[in-house]
Amino acid sequence: MMETQKVQRLLLKYNAGEADPGEIKEIENLVELGKIQLDDIEGFKKLSDEIVSIQTADPSRSLDEKFHQMLSAEKARSTKSSWRNIFSSIDLMPRLAFASITLLVGLAVGYILRSPAKEEEQIVQLGREISDLKEMMMLSLLEKESATDRLKAVSLTQGMDQVSKHVTGALLQTLNNDENVNVRLAALDALRPYSKDGQIREALVRSIALQKSPLVQVALAELMAELQEKGAINEFEKILKDGETPSDIKKKIRESMQVI
Amino acid sequence: MTNLPPVQSFRESFNFRCNLSKKLQFPILKISTHLEALSDNALMIKVRDGHLDTLGLLFARYKKPLFGFFYGMNRDAELSEDLVQNVFYRILKYRYLFRGEGDFKTWMFHIARNVNHDNFRKDKIRFKDSIEDWQERLGSDENRATEFQKDEELQLLSMAMDRLPEDKREILLLSKYQDKKYKEIGDTLGCSEGAVKVKVFRALQELKAVYSELEKNN
Repeated sequence: MMETQKVQRLLLKYNAGEADPGEIKEIENLVELGKIQLDDIEGFKKLSDEIVSIQTADPSRSLDEKFHQMLSAEKARSTKSSWRNIFSSIDLMPRLAFASITLLVGLAVGYILRSPAKEEEQIVQLGREISDLKEMMMLSLLEKESATDRLKAVSLTQGMDQVSKHVTGALLQTLNNDENVNVRLAALDALRPYSKDGQIREALVRSIALQKSPLVQVALAELMAELQEKGAINEFEKILKDGETPSDIKKKIRESMQVI
Repeated sequence: MTNLPPVQSFRESFNFRCNLSKKLQFPILKISTHLEALSDNALMIKVRDGHLDTLGLLFARYKKPLFGFFYGMNRDAELSEDLVQNVFYRILKYRYLFRGEGDFKTWMFHIARNVNHDNFRKDKIRFKDSIEDWQERLGSDENRATEFQKDEELQLLSMAMDRLPEDKREILLLSKYQDKKYKEIGDTLGCSEGAVKVKVFRALQELKAVYSELEKNN
């Protein structure tokens, strides 16, 4: 109550223009504390209302134009740099750094541990040696008494990528001379992939006359028909003329000859 | 005999009111959400998130108050337009700094003050105006300032404003364009609400004195 009266007294004095600097300071404190509202001071409300009423001219149209130009420029710039923004994103940076470091470490480890070119040559050489070994084994197995061993020898050639003339020669030898029909048939089978070779084909044609077994004859006839080998016709005719050849075999050979 | 409208029964009237409130409820909600989406802060957040076109709305809303603030400070229309442009340039440039927690208007006027101070510093270095030049410029601009005021009283007030020191003119202009929201003005200036009130008090006190002086001379 006392304070309100004091405030009123101060305001009256101030409004009458009689307040001394000390009292003005006191009023300022009361204004700061919110105990005196600015509008309570004489003339202040009118003044501040009039300030609000002071008209200012409108900005010119060029301001709008300049603003929209600036906005378009900024839009163009931000679209251009949107990719850059993605890569400069705070979240992505450590991940990218980690990925790059991992990649570099991987490359470095790979470079250190990688097999030198020499090793590749060594592998090729090793492969060649194995194949030589297989050839030797095959040739020695073909010499065996047991037909099973000889069959094994023939089947060994199937695992070889490239065979030497020794091998094909040994197979032709087996085809012509082996006493066992199965071994001979197996040798013929093994020779089949190499039959495109002219020399082998000739050797196979010559082999027709040497064959006594009807099974091998038929197998040869089929192979010749498959190869369309016209040189084989003479050899087959000899077989057909042979009185010992069974009629079923003759029929089969004739069929093959027709194909050729 | 005049044709009176049929008397509505209580039930009919009740039903009508219920239906009306049902009908209105949704649109009212819709309008308020819509308005919220159009608030300064919501628009500025959109700008921050890359919808730069939205700044056009804020520009349309605030170009005039900002122009008024700058014009009140320097009485140079061309310069004031440049400064308004500068404020929006800075808003664009520093858009990612807007967190949406404070008031957009406060943030904008904070930028406007910085722009004004930077310009004032630049101006001072560039021209090193003599007092005579300044007075000459002020004199001619006073005419330009007052030409918009129809009322003689307002013309006088406008002249009185121009004669105030810069800090006092600034606080009164901020008070005008920030609708006497002293707390927000305090946020713009970086001081308390009470301190703003004291600044306004001192500015009005001096304005009143200058105004009386001008009135006497007139």
